[in-house]
Amino acid sequence: MKARNAALLLAPAALALTIFVILPLMWVVRTSFNHTVDGAYMVSAFTFENYTRFLGSGWYLVNTLWFSIRVAILTTAISVLLGYPVALYIAGTRGVQRNVLMTMVLSPLLIGLVTLVYGWIVIFRGGGLLNSLMIALRVYDEPVRYMWDLKGVVILLVYIGMPYIVLSLLDSIERINPSFVEAARNVGASRWRAFWSITFPLTMPGLYAGLVIVFTLNFSAFAVPLMVGATDTQMIGLVIYREALLNNDLPFASSLSVIMIAANATILLGMSFLFGKLILNRLEAKR
Amino acid sequence: MRSPDIGTAALRLFTYAAMAFLFFPIIITLIVSVNPREFILPPSGFTLDWFKAAWTSETFVRAMGVSLILGIVASLVANTLALLAVLAMVRYDFKGKALINLLIMSPLLIPTTIFSLALYVYFVQLGFGGGIPALVIGHAIHVLPFAARILTASMQNFDTSLEEAARNVGAGPVRTMLSITLPVMKTGLISSFVLCFVLSWNDFPISVFLAPPGWTPLPVELFTYIKFQYDAVGAALASSLILISGIAMVVIDRMAGLRRVLRG
Repeated sequence: MKARNAALLLAPAALALTIFVILPLMWVVRTSFNHTVDGAYMVSAFTFENYTRFLGSGWYLVNTLWFSIRVAILTTAISVLLGYPVALYIAGTRGVQRNVLMTMVLSPLLIGLVTLVYGWIVIFRGGGLLNSLMIALRVYDEPVRYMWDLKGVVILLVYIGMPYIVLSLLDSIERINPSFVEAARNVGASRWRAFWSITFPLTMPGLYAGLVIVFTLNFSAFAVPLMVGATDTQMIGLVIYREALLNNDLPFASSLSVIMIAANATILLGMSFLFGKLILNRLEAKR
Repeated sequence: MRSPDIGTAALRLFTYAAMAFLFFPIIITLIVSVNPREFILPPSGFTLDWFKAAWTSETFVRAMGVSLILGIVASLVANTLALLAVLAMVRYDFKGKALINLLIMSPLLIPTTIFSLALYVYFVQLGFGGGIPALVIGHAIHVLPFAARILTASMQNFDTSLEEAARNVGAGPVRTMLSITLPVMKTGLISSFVLCFVLSWNDFPISVFLAPPGWTPLPVELFTYIKFQYDAVGAALASSLILISGIAMVVIDRMAGLRRVLRG
C-alpha cells in the first residue's frame, strides 16, 4: 500500500523527466551518427562523419573547441578573482547591509540575459557611456569596440558567472567554525596568515562547486556569443545553435553536443583531481 | 573587538565596486527608459513615452501575452509534478531514492544549450518541432528542479500530526490534502510558483530553440528588436522585464529567502 502510494505520486514527474530529458539526450547521441543529405534533410545512418568533420578539422579544433575552453577558463578565473573577496566580505556582514548585498548579488540570476545585455550595450557601444567618458577624459581618442567583440563576450560571461561563485563560496565560508580562526589569531597568527592557513583551505569545496557550475555554464554558452559576439567568437555552443537552427544540420549539431559534454566532463575530472591534490598537499604540509 | 583595519576597508571597497559592476547595467537600463532625451545622460527629466510606445506596440503586447501564458502554464505544470514527487520523496522510504532525486534534478545538471538542442532534435523527429507543446514542455521541465527544491524544504518543515488529526476526524486523503496540506504549505507553494514563473518569463535559450513562429516570448522578441533597432523603446521593454523580476524577487525573498532558492 505504502509503496504503491509513493510510486503513484512519483510517476508523473518521473515519467515526464524520462520522456523529456533522458530520452531526448539519448536521441541526440543517436542523431549524431545520422547522415545529412546536401545539408538539407537527415537520413538514418550509422556514420562517424559528423565527428570526423569536427575533430578532423584544425579550424574547428582551434577556433571553436580550444577557443571555448580558453574563454571558459579565463572567464571562470576572473569570476573567482572578483567573487572571492565579495563572498568573504558578505560573510562578515549582518542585518540590512547583508540583505542589500545579497539582493544585489542575486539579481542578475533572476533578471533575464537579454535584459542584462541591453544594459551593457548602452554602456559599451561605440558612442555609449564608457567610450564617451574615456574620450572626454582623453584616455583614448577613438571609440573602442567592446560589444560585438571578444571583450563583450568575456565581460558578460564574468558578469553572469560571478553570482554563482559568490553563492557557493558563502556556503563554505559560513560553515567554518569561527573559533578556528580565533584560535589561530590567539596564538599570534596575523590576519593574513590565519586566512591562508585556516579560511582559504576550508573554502576549497565551495570554490570547487562554484568552478564546476561557472565553467560548464561558460563553456557551453551560446546566448552571450550570439548577442554580443563577433564572427571570430565561434564558441562551441554558438556553433551548435547555428548548425541546428540556421543550417538545419541536426546530426552535426548533435555530434557537437556529444563532443562538448565529453570535453566538459574531461576538464572537470582533471579539475577535481587537481583540487584533491591541492587540498591533500596543504593538509600534509600542516602535519 | 578589533577595530576595522585596512584589510577590512579594502575588502569593503572592493565589494562595493563589484556591486556597482553587478548593478550598473540594470540601473542604466531603468534610467534610459524614463529619460526624455534618448540615451543622452545625465537624464533631463522624466517621461513614460518610451513605455507607452513599448506597451502599445502590437508585437510587444502579443509577446508579453505569450510570455505571461507560457510562464503561468509552465509553472503550474512544474509545480503540480514537483509537489506530487516531493510528497513521495519526503514521506516515504523506498529503494532507488537517490536515483529518483538525480532524475528530478537532471534538468539543472545539463547545460541549457544541450537541453534545448536535445528537446528540439527530439520534437522535430517526433513531428512537432517548434510547436506550442514543445515550448511549454521545455519551460516546465526546465523549472521543475527549482520547484522541487523549494517544496522539499517546505514539506520537511511540515508537522504531520495536523494531517493525522484530520484523518482521525474522518477526512479522506484528498480532503486532507486540500484542507490541511496545501494551506499549510501555502508560502512554499507561492514562492515556488513565482520563482518558476520568473525563470520562464526571463528565459531566452530554451525559447529561442523551441518557440514556434507567431508564438515568440518577450525576451526573444526583445533580442530580435535590439538586433535591428537601437532606441529607448528597447530600454522600456527591458525595464518592464526588470520590474516584473523585481516584484517576483521581493515576493520570493519575503516568503522563502532568495538565497536558499537560487543555490546552484
